[in-house]
Amino acid sequence: MRERLSFYVKRESFLHNLNPLTKLVLALGLTLIGFLSPWYWTPLAIIFFIIAPLSFVGKVQRDFLNAAFRLILPATGFLFIMQALFQPVGKTELFSIWFLHVTRESLAYAFENATRIFAMVSSFTIFLLTTHPSELMSDLTHRGLPSQFAYVIISTIQIIPQMQAKAQTIIAAQRSRGLDTESSLFKRAGALVPLVSPLVFGSLVEVEERAIAIEARGFTSRHTKTSLREIPDSSFDKALRWILLLLVVAIIAVKIWLS
Amino acid sequence: MKIEIKDLHYTYPAGVEALRGVSLTIDSGEQVAMVGQNGSGKTTLVKHLNGLLQPTSGSVLIGDLDTKKVPVAKLAVHVGYVFQNPDEQLFCRTIHEEVAFGPRNLGFDASKIESLVADALNLVELSSRKETNPYDLSPTWRKMVALASIISMDTSIVILDEPTTGQDAVNVARIAHVVAELRKRGKTVITITHDIDFCAENFERVIALSQGKILLDGPAGSVLGQGEILAQTYVDPPQLTRLGKRLGLKKTVRNQEEFLSALKS
Repeated sequence: MRERLSFYVKRESFLHNLNPLTKLVLALGLTLIGFLSPWYWTPLAIIFFIIAPLSFVGKVQRDFLNAAFRLILPATGFLFIMQALFQPVGKTELFSIWFLHVTRESLAYAFENATRIFAMVSSFTIFLLTTHPSELMSDLTHRGLPSQFAYVIISTIQIIPQMQAKAQTIIAAQRSRGLDTESSLFKRAGALVPLVSPLVFGSLVEVEERAIAIEARGFTSRHTKTSLREIPDSSFDKALRWILLLLVVAIIAVKIWLS
Repeated sequence: MKIEIKDLHYTYPAGVEALRGVSLTIDSGEQVAMVGQNGSGKTTLVKHLNGLLQPTSGSVLIGDLDTKKVPVAKLAVHVGYVFQNPDEQLFCRTIHEEVAFGPRNLGFDASKIESLVADALNLVELSSRKETNPYDLSPTWRKMVALASIISMDTSIVILDEPTTGQDAVNVARIAHVVAELRKRGKTVITITHDIDFCAENFERVIALSQGKILLDGPAGSVLGQGEILAQTYVDPPQLTRLGKRLGLKKTVRNQEEFLSALKS
């Protein structure tokens, strides 16, 4: 079984070659701009004119569209419907279902939130698709991030695909023992315990083993650590980060100005 | 139950072609060891026997059941599969519950479940620790719990994926004893192993796989004697077999008895 350690897709592209911090700042910056902007169309503009083209620049358009349509769109769509139905704001009622009233305001509110979240998740998706987690972390620790913190982040990024692979094996093992995971919903619900417990137990055991393994390699040593790989940080990277920072500051200023 | 595999091909979704045309018949009650380098397709092959994997092309018949048409949970009545890592299958609070899980899934009645569990625990020498939590045992013993949890399902075919890795001599002997007992009961046992001594001493038939194809298939004595061909899949014949060959013994020997008797004659 092939185990993918992260969402990272290995390609040779301009986006891949950017400094990891730049890409992180980019994802954070786009998210902040999307959330802080006073104009409702900003998140949409970010999605269509920045993130979508970036996915082509990074040669990960297929993976990105896959994630966008199969994961982000359904999730934000759900959010949109829920908020449109349950948000008790506004008076201009458009229509109502039973006790739920959909107003122009609640619709606008839901739309705004859904597009913001779409922009946030998709910008981080691009970031994760083009940045190897260990590259990001070695760059950040080099810049002074405590390595404990780096470890927490990197293990979080890695853990989901790892757990997926593990869950697959556990499902296979329990099905071999006659566990019915395919038929009725009731049976499926009952099948959860035998699937979840080995996953949780196994992960806890792994945490301990990992801790020992990294400590054996001097994780908490106070000496300055050297890095095997130099991660390039060009002047373009620096400029891009400053531009994004300025944009975020500008959008905050506009928001204050308009309010 | 007879196992019939016809021209089995399997390609993983990621594009790796793991099996390239395997045809094989295993009769009821045979003891078969599968050897071969990592990635030669051993695990992929046995995962087809209980329907965990579906052939890309070709077919797998268990008795007269086609694994393509029968769900895994139904095939579990006939084929038991002990996974390599016990931690991926154990979840109950006590060993007893763990071993009873399989037979309960198969829908046996309570008294039959009790007797099957007692028998399986007895076989792996864990009867006295019924109420222990499997996670309080050492990994070696957890492996025995996993083994018992499949034996208790009383399937006519038992698959063992690397049962002896990480086990000391005493435990290997214990597993060998289990295999011998299953043979006595007329079960088919198929074992994947890298432990060539374990293979030579406990199995009558050996199948060597290499790059998704069968390299050698036959009685252990003849397969293990063909060192040059086995080298293609990075399998070394047992030390005694090699020593026997160097000494110029006429017969291929597998274990101490055969070696000594060949030496005396």
